[in-house]
Amino acid sequence: MGLTFKIAWRNIWRHKGKSLVIGVILFIGALLMTVGNGIISGMENGLSENIVNLFTGDILIISDEQEKDNILLDLMTAKPLKVIKNYEAAREVLESEEMIADYLPAASGLVFLLNSRSEMGSIYLLGVDIDRYQRFFPNSIKITEGRIFKRGERGVLISEFARKPLYDFMEYWVLPQGETLDESKLPVEAKEDLANLDLRSDIVFMGASDSNSTIDIRVPVTGIIEYKALNKIWGYYCLVDIESFREAHNYVTGADRAAELSPEEEDLLAMEDLEDFFSSGDLFTDVITDESITLDQLREETARELVEYDLDDGSYNLAFIKLKAGVTPREALVKLNRVFQEKGIEVRAISWKDAVGVIGSMAVMVKAALNLFIMFIFFVAMIIIMNTLSMAALERTSELAMMRAIGARKGFLRRMFLAETSLLSFFFGGLGIASGIIVIYLIRAADISTTNEILQLLYGGETLSPLYTPADFLLGLVELGIVTILSVIYPLRVVGKIVPLDAIIRE
Amino acid sequence: MNVIEVQGLKKDYPLGKTIVHALRGIDFSVEEGAFLSIVGPSGSGKTTLLNIIGCIDHPTAGRVRIHDQEISKLNDKQITDLRLHRIGFIFQSFNLIPVLNVRENVEFPLLLMKNKRKEEIDARVEKLLRAVGLLDYMAHKPAELSGGQRQRVAIARALVGNPDIVLADEPTANLDSETSESILKLMRELNEAERTTFIFSTHDPEVLKYAGKIVKIKDGMIVGQE
Repeated sequence: MGLTFKIAWRNIWRHKGKSLVIGVILFIGALLMTVGNGIISGMENGLSENIVNLFTGDILIISDEQEKDNILLDLMTAKPLKVIKNYEAAREVLESEEMIADYLPAASGLVFLLNSRSEMGSIYLLGVDIDRYQRFFPNSIKITEGRIFKRGERGVLISEFARKPLYDFMEYWVLPQGETLDESKLPVEAKEDLANLDLRSDIVFMGASDSNSTIDIRVPVTGIIEYKALNKIWGYYCLVDIESFREAHNYVTGADRAAELSPEEEDLLAMEDLEDFFSSGDLFTDVITDESITLDQLREETARELVEYDLDDGSYNLAFIKLKAGVTPREALVKLNRVFQEKGIEVRAISWKDAVGVIGSMAVMVKAALNLFIMFIFFVAMIIIMNTLSMAALERTSELAMMRAIGARKGFLRRMFLAETSLLSFFFGGLGIASGIIVIYLIRAADISTTNEILQLLYGGETLSPLYTPADFLLGLVELGIVTILSVIYPLRVVGKIVPLDAIIRE
Repeated sequence: MNVIEVQGLKKDYPLGKTIVHALRGIDFSVEEGAFLSIVGPSGSGKTTLLNIIGCIDHPTAGRVRIHDQEISKLNDKQITDLRLHRIGFIFQSFNLIPVLNVRENVEFPLLLMKNKRKEEIDARVEKLLRAVGLLDYMAHKPAELSGGQRQRVAIARALVGNPDIVLADEPTANLDSETSESILKLMRELNEAERTTFIFSTHDPEVLKYAGKIVKIKDGMIVGQE
């Protein structure tokens, strides 16, 4: 052991009280820092898992005509999303880019609901090819009642979160087709008036659009879903088959693209003046009644002819993109936007944080607040340590001055003091970090859950799952080192000002 | 050959609005191997003079040369090295390092020198501890020693680096008369054995019988030399 460390070590034991004060502060600081860093890492990891992996992907593409990037959670003020005009060209880019692991085209937007009294409510729908959705966001939804509609089938999956507001505004309780009522899930007021409960297994909705006319369509409710996490955020969105979404918003559907016209129909559309079509003969005929035809037969005869078509041929207003491991969203954004611009494709790539707007910002704010808290703890610790060390230096002036008098340089005394603080920092700080890691594992084991949305952001999900990574350990050591150095700077100046004469004056 | 030459040495201290003239122009020299005592009443300037000679205080005016080296021209590092290699100090209150044992206290200056081998250090430390009669106390901490024993440790520490000069400011002031006598005898013996120049201050007339040369000082001026 070097001379400086030998003296430093023994001085720590000689001044046990002061050493313990400094040690306890370092211990608490390191403990809080470790737990704080663990929570931040857990939050980042949770947000990544619960937002990126469950709902947004790493980046999204939207129409270049879209004014704001906050497209997913700006529910109150946002205008309907613009349709991606040249999706086919964008798709070619997404297919060919090596950094992209997968992508999911979709359509997101508000729809208006109608009840039997022509009262209007609204919900948010995400129109998807359900097979691709489940492949892109595996295990992101859990079916709590009914079933997930099949690919090509018309259907809507109502979220548990949206079900109650639907009852409140529309005064009907959504029950998936073929399901029996589970009364335990009913709101209190519905239970009290069970006889008059209006049960609906399909909903009628109409797309909200500012650029074209929309139509109202009836879509069966096939299931009730819960998202794996952050239900109070993602729960605003119900999933619907993409074709129903397109129809309701008057988008081009896959079926539209696939429909082939007969020669007569083509001739008809080729007429120079379509009004001629209505100009000859009577438009009105006598009503023909045929009581032998049943309602079911009529439905069958007038049913839409099923056409084989590709769901991907219709319109979308966004696409979720997952990047390959090792590709950073920043570099992917830059590259994709450059390619889109070069090829004249009127879309732009945005980050998931921008897409979720305030939620993404809040995550950053929570992180910043936690970091500030840790900084504050360390600042207070630093001041106390600085003060205690300065007092210790002044109390030992005679001893230190004597060392100077018999030939110790200023640097020796400074190294001795730094060694003392470093030993305390290493031991108590290390103990604090170790204890912090244990606390992190205890918190994880305690399985602390919340339904509070803000806390869910802090937790990075519904359960508080702090995470301690090797990077956090290194960060902890760096922070501890910085605190040690900063808190010892002033005491070292005090030590540096001690002159040999002090040994005589203070005798 | 003179090891120390002091010329026109003055030292003023500001004390509120007045100036205290601690030294008013001191001229004297010390030969190598001398055993010199600076004598004078309290407040006469003995300690100030020793501090300036020992390079731990600066004169207001005048010059001090140690082995023909003008100390006022040296920077802090050079002065520190001069104290380490050429000057040994014995303080009135012993001033040992409380966390180090006797052996470690004595070897401390040698460890600061950095260029000494362990065997060399061990031999030198043991030689001096034997000389001061504390070989059996090597593992003791200063707090476990008597006043006389502590001062012996301080003497060994002052001599361990083979300095040219050992300065002792009232080395017996905190000791009883019997212990004081033994300490002075020891200093004298080591002065003769090591050929090291000793300068010590005292106001005790009993101590003077051990001095080889006496410089009398009063009100910051030399009033006589014997």
